Amino acid sequence: MRDTPPALGRFVLGAFLWLPPCFAAWYFSAPFQAAVAGRLARGLIDLFAPGVVSGLERQGSDLLFVTTLEVHPGPGLTAVLVPEVNPLLYTYGLALFVALMLASRSRWRAILGGAAILLAFQAWGIAFDLLAQIAPNLGSQATAQAGALDWRREAIALGYQVGALVFPSLMPVVLWGLFNRSFVQASLRPGGSAASAMQDCSTGPGASR
Amino acid sequence: MTRFLVLFAIIMVALFAAELTPPVQAAIVLPWTEALARISAGIATLFDSHVAALGRILRNTSNGFAISIEAGCNGIEAAIVLIAAIFAFPAPWKHRAIGILAGLAAVQALNVVRVISLFYLGQWSLPVFEWAHLYLWQALIMLDVLVVWLFWIRTIPVRSVAAR
Repeated sequence: MRDTPPALGRFVLGAFLWLPPCFAAWYFSAPFQAAVAGRLARGLIDLFAPGVVSGLERQGSDLLFVTTLEVHPGPGLTAVLVPEVNPLLYTYGLALFVALMLASRSRWRAILGGAAILLAFQAWGIAFDLLAQIAPNLGSQATAQAGALDWRREAIALGYQVGALVFPSLMPVVLWGLFNRSFVQASLRPGGSAASAMQDCSTGPGASR
Repeated sequence: MTRFLVLFAIIMVALFAAELTPPVQAAIVLPWTEALARISAGIATLFDSHVAALGRILRNTSNGFAISIEAGCNGIEAAIVLIAAIFAFPAPWKHRAIGILAGLAAVQALNVVRVISLFYLGQWSLPVFEWAHLYLWQALIMLDVLVVWLFWIRTIPVRSVAAR
């Protein structure tokens, strides 16, 4: 990998060209990624609703969370909730991230580091998808069992919105920006007010205008 | 960079919170989503007379296929990200205003392409529609936001080249 950042036009073209192969690679490696993100998500769920998830299984590309929540669909009938989560909804940003990093000729170490950081946000999305299913989308009995009451319900709704609408596509771009500050700086006009500001911000921790 | 990231996060959270409130939904989100359906139908009718918009639904009048433009597909989230990124970056106010107007036009133009392409992809193959809708177009729209922002920061006027 070369250290010199490419020109902006070349970077944009590179990102578009890298996107299809990166999406293909992501799709075929998605089950492995989902397994790791699913385990992390289980840990996150335990923080919000301890003891609710008793097992994690995979069915195709979907994650099945076996819970301890019981529901009674009819008289004398008892069932355990096993909500499904499609992890692809939360992991596709990896393809975007890798395409951006390759287009800006980033180092492989940075790409792997960024992919590892992304796992945390993917786990967030998966965890809140599950929590949203067992909290506001179900009857009061299951919700009360999960301890998902009042403020916790609101927090779960907000966490789900952020995890589904914001993190999957935004975090790859934010991480790319953090790993490529020199590229962003190189995009600025030399001597411009913004160029000076970026210089100030990147010369030391806590530097601000 | 730290200052930019903090400001970006604060503005974005504030705009997202505002977007979820009923007044903003009623005054901006719903009318824009319906307008997006009408614009998409208007463009599609240039080459296909069997397209009609009803509220936020885009429908093929001959085969009955329809798509509904929902949250996350109306380009408002992408617009919020772009606005937050432009406001958080140090630049003259006039330049910010121009960046937001031009940037929103670019993002929404691509979003119209997304809606129309998904409308036809859905009639051709539902699995392909799902793939493009849930993964590919989400990434492309955010890539568009990034590209618009990078081009915008490139046009921020020089303050004092001679002095340096």
